[in-house]
Amino acid sequence: MRSSALDKGLRTGVIFGIVIAIMFLIGFTVTGAGLVGKLFGVSSSYNTPPLTFFVIFMVLMGAWAGITAAARSLTEPDTLKRALTAGASAGAVSGLISAVVGFIFGTLNANAIDPRTYLPMVSPESTKLFLMNQSPLTGSLMLLGVLTVSGAAAAGLSFYLRTHDGVKSGARNITESVRKTIRSEGVARVTNSPYARYGFWLLVAALLIILPRTWGGYWNYVFGTVGIYIILGLGLNIITGWAGQLVIGYVAFFAVGAYTFALLTAPEPHNLTMNFWLALGLGVLAAGISGLLIGLPILNLRGDYLAIVTLGFAEIVRILLKSDLMTEYTAGPRGVRDIAGPTLFGRSFVSDVDFMYLIIIAVLVVTFIAYRLQNSRTGKAWYAINLDETVARATGINAFASKLLALSLSAAMAGLAGVLFASRNQFTGPDDHALMVSINVICLVIVGGIGNIPGVFLGAFALKGLPEILRETENYRLLIFGVLLIVMMRLRPEGFLPAKRPVLEKSAQTSSKEAQP
Amino acid sequence: MTTCIETKQVSKIFGGLTAVNTVDVVVPEHAIASIIGPNGAGKTTLFNCISGYYVPEQGQIEFFGNAIQGQPTYKVADMGIARTYQNIRLFGDMTAIENVIVGQYPRFKANWVDAILSTRRERDEAKQAIEEARRLLKFVGLEGLGDTLARNLPYGAQRRLEIARALASKPRLLLLDEPTAGMNPQETDTMTHFIRNLRDELGITILLIEHDMRVVMGISDQISVLDYGTKIAEGKPKEIQSNQRVIEAYLGPDVTSLTKKYQLRKKQRHDATR
Repeated sequence: MRSSALDKGLRTGVIFGIVIAIMFLIGFTVTGAGLVGKLFGVSSSYNTPPLTFFVIFMVLMGAWAGITAAARSLTEPDTLKRALTAGASAGAVSGLISAVVGFIFGTLNANAIDPRTYLPMVSPESTKLFLMNQSPLTGSLMLLGVLTVSGAAAAGLSFYLRTHDGVKSGARNITESVRKTIRSEGVARVTNSPYARYGFWLLVAALLIILPRTWGGYWNYVFGTVGIYIILGLGLNIITGWAGQLVIGYVAFFAVGAYTFALLTAPEPHNLTMNFWLALGLGVLAAGISGLLIGLPILNLRGDYLAIVTLGFAEIVRILLKSDLMTEYTAGPRGVRDIAGPTLFGRSFVSDVDFMYLIIIAVLVVTFIAYRLQNSRTGKAWYAINLDETVARATGINAFASKLLALSLSAAMAGLAGVLFASRNQFTGPDDHALMVSINVICLVIVGGIGNIPGVFLGAFALKGLPEILRETENYRLLIFGVLLIVMMRLRPEGFLPAKRPVLEKSAQTSSKEAQP
Repeated sequence: MTTCIETKQVSKIFGGLTAVNTVDVVVPEHAIASIIGPNGAGKTTLFNCISGYYVPEQGQIEFFGNAIQGQPTYKVADMGIARTYQNIRLFGDMTAIENVIVGQYPRFKANWVDAILSTRRERDEAKQAIEEARRLLKFVGLEGLGDTLARNLPYGAQRRLEIARALASKPRLLLLDEPTAGMNPQETDTMTHFIRNLRDELGITILLIEHDMRVVMGISDQISVLDYGTKIAEGKPKEIQSNQRVIEAYLGPDVTSLTKKYQLRKKQRHDATR
């Protein structure tokens, strides 16, 4: 029925219209246009981006609305008319909402009323850009037109791609041939041969050695941060991903590691300029022990007590570090300065390239440990506790001890990350250890794929690396995190790279078969 | 004959309710013993006391002469008591073979340091664990399904997998909580044979809770009857069938056939849970 296509189009249009209107109200339309500009290689982070990019941004939004509407109204018979109706109506409704909003603010601007008292991001420039540098009426009509046309066009295009066998089978042929090549015996022989594996690892090693030298200071800093967050993510993954115990105040262990290291190596306030490696070990140990002590009284309980207790612990640690009470011991709110950089055989290596190498080695070590633990007896016990603690106990698993071990190892990894963080910045203060760090780590583990090691890498790059590359969106980082988490929970609750269980029965069978001549 | 498990005057009280009231059950080694009784009679509570989930308020539980009441569950499992559950409780997101590997947990000793360093002990045990798990899967007839996620297995296979997991720890006593619940007559027969085989081939002592009287009368060496937490009768199947107290107090005086009433009860329960 046509009315249902129209209906779906209108509904989709309302959603997209509200999204565009909110984007405008929070100033994201300017940022979006800037991002489009960046795609074309035009950097414009400080002034208003050119109109062309804004139009492209709006066309993209309209196209998205059109395609969504066309996809939602997809029923038999699938006709061009239906797709166009859905797309055009979605575009038109979203355009209408945007046009109304644009017209209101354009008129306010024209009458010299500044809405920034209430909506700080709605600057006159932003409104002008939203109205395509036209008068309120012309501008809003143009907005309506752009969104309608792009919605209809995109819906039509998606219909064409969906129904035309030429395009479809062409694409299928290509993917099919690629898949065949990948699965063919020749490729399998090459990829399964030990030389290929060595070659692959050599290549990775070469890249890891060469890249930090070519990156320069800024990118080394960014990827160093990513590396530190990978360590944090892998650590949290042990207790939360595998053992299934939510830890919200994970940053506390990060702080314990960072501060232990800082106080042992900085000239102030204790003047214990200890050797870097010794202090690193002690920092990791202190964090591990703090995890143990936190876990002792609560880990024999079930439920989310651990989440709440660690949350409290993290805040206590941060507030104590900040308080005057502790200034004598922890340098108070000013933080600890002049923390030692790493030394090796008496030679200090504090350049960003050298430090990047240190972080890479630390990430490799932690990843190695995580892989070894994952499918071991210990790792299986953790996962069993995660799935059904009661039954795990009855299969002979000491759940309390296992959880305590998991928390302690997690905390130790956070401590390592803290040490690296403090040493790299040569400074650490209470504000480095705000709850936001924990939230970031939880987000990256969830987005990447909970319980999965490559997922943690992906999550760390996506949540700590991408925002640096897309600096324009900095103000919207929290908003985007929130939206991302909700979308992930709705569409892919297991994360981008979900954890897979190992194949054990088959592999054992094939290996025993191969063993026979 | 050695005594495998013995409960001496065991009581478990929840608030004002005495779920298990001074119950004595003695199961000799290599026996198949059943506990029967209407719903809420305290059968599963007694199981939970034996496997360490509950600490009885009163009495003693002895496993080959060692007192085990009050011991943590994992230690009880370590000593050689394994169990299955009335409503199947597998590790659903693990594969079948992994469930069996986890079941072998008490038998292996490699710890996390071994795992990180990949010591000889770790590698040997991992290899053994997989071999043993494959053997057990074959034993319960799940060969080839080992790499399926446990929750994707059909119902009967899940029941058998649960038993395989329990067997993995090489227990000396196996507690089966309604092993044939929800099975059709054919599956029930297979399961009955299977349980008898466990005893005959592996020499495991078996204590089971069961509602299907055909099964109970067919395989039990001894039957204990519980009602409102109290043991009201004990003996060989024949003796229980003709025990007036069991029939009256527990099945109702107007019923002629034990089995008929039971099937009716079971059907009602089945309908109620629907």
